[in-house]
Amino acid sequence: MPYPTNPADIIGAWVGAFLTLAIYSYILYKETRVYRLAEYIYVGIAFAVSLTISVQQIWNQIIVRILGGQYIYIIGVILGLMLLTLPFKSIRWISRYPVIFLMGLGFGVTIRGALTANIVGQIRGSITPPGATATMLDWFNFAWICLGTLLIISYFTFTVEHTGWYYYPTKLGRYILLLGLGAYYGNTVQFRMTMLAGRVQYLLQVFKIIPWP
Amino acid sequence: MGESQSIWVKLGAVDKRILYWILFISLAIPYIRPIGLPVSIAETSYALYNFIEKLGPNDVVVMAIEFGVSAWSECLPGFVAVSKHLVMRGVKIIYWCVGYTDCDLTMEAVMARIPQLKGPGQPAGPGDYKYGVDWVYMGYIAGGETTVAQLADDIRQVLRADKYGTPIDQIPLFQNVRNAKDIKIVIDSTTGDYGDYYVRQWRIRYGTAVAEIGIAMNYSTFMAYYQAGLAVGALKGIRGAAEYEKLIGQLGEATTSLDALNVSHLLVIIAIIMANLSYVMTRRRGGG
Repeated sequence: MPYPTNPADIIGAWVGAFLTLAIYSYILYKETRVYRLAEYIYVGIAFAVSLTISVQQIWNQIIVRILGGQYIYIIGVILGLMLLTLPFKSIRWISRYPVIFLMGLGFGVTIRGALTANIVGQIRGSITPPGATATMLDWFNFAWICLGTLLIISYFTFTVEHTGWYYYPTKLGRYILLLGLGAYYGNTVQFRMTMLAGRVQYLLQVFKIIPWP
Repeated sequence: MGESQSIWVKLGAVDKRILYWILFISLAIPYIRPIGLPVSIAETSYALYNFIEKLGPNDVVVMAIEFGVSAWSECLPGFVAVSKHLVMRGVKIIYWCVGYTDCDLTMEAVMARIPQLKGPGQPAGPGDYKYGVDWVYMGYIAGGETTVAQLADDIRQVLRADKYGTPIDQIPLFQNVRNAKDIKIVIDSTTGDYGDYYVRQWRIRYGTAVAEIGIAMNYSTFMAYYQAGLAVGALKGIRGAAEYEKLIGQLGEATTSLDALNVSHLLVIIAIIMANLSYVMTRRRGGG
């Protein structure tokens, strides 16, 4: 794509670059008024976008349907309005009913697939040996996952005291858990670095040092 | 002795702003002068590629935009690479989003990077993707996992029209699409746990294939689904995107960014070694 030629797009790109630098001034220099300005602009715009989209959603998904004769959606509106009593101490109890409704609904919807996906599927995946074409590495992974799962479960078994012979598997389980958390942390660092790299790339593009994407 | 000890102490107490400046500048260098480090391809990326290779023009795929603008650098290149592959295969695509309200901007960015995706009212030539026939954008849909479950049961119960207000019954692409059974695969690109929603509500209940183009930190958790046979593939952040660009033979943004990522990792490793050396040496010499 060529560098923006439309004045509005050019201004937008430069404002983006300024705000990026303003936000990063916090770690590259210190907290300043410029940083705070950028922070408030970010929060304000994010809120404005969310509010606009939410109003659009309520209009399209609820109001239009009610106006079209689907009166069942009035229940949703009433439950939503009940939530708004939360700031008022004397009638706050009303807001508990929609919260309970939402929790029950969420639990009911999630549990349908969760048992298979998060429990049965995971157990099956952990104990199923690799197929006929498996390599040595596949077998090593299989053994590692099987053993690792059992050892970590032993660590989280609190009904038996972690002493005597039972001390050793729980200790090993703890180390495997730490290895897993280390890998997870490494992936987190990768994600954060990519975000930073993306911003650096954007600045270079705006300053015309590298081509626009 | 005293002088060398002070070096270790100084090393451990280096102003973190210096490290951030070094990181900031170092990240810029690979963009200006790409290093071109080799990219090996992970099994999960291959698996997704192979799955899409088997699809054709009669198949319909859902591409779920479950990431915001802030995660473009991590998710967008992979999302674009997979979209390009789907376009190369002639597969019909439904884009939607249940996670982030700013997905319209992401959709614009995808369209800008894939010129074949013609918007509503734009003329489509040979090889182009005609809006409504070959692809469609449904916009943001509120409701989280409940909505994902409802979409699996009956798309028309949730969506009455596309993003641009065209009633769903007037969109040719939706002629034979009613629920999750009519979708070959959901490819969800997410910074959160939306992949779990699709596995629970689409894969478990309807058998629809699910894959993820996630951020790196989600990869290890999503791998459990792949291992259990509940997901057909996954791309690990920008790294997975670079792998996919290599697989489809169209090197792009991810391949360039991967060099910067490698440099950043190298710096982190050096910083960890230096900090640990400083800690050990300071303690050994009775400084801490």
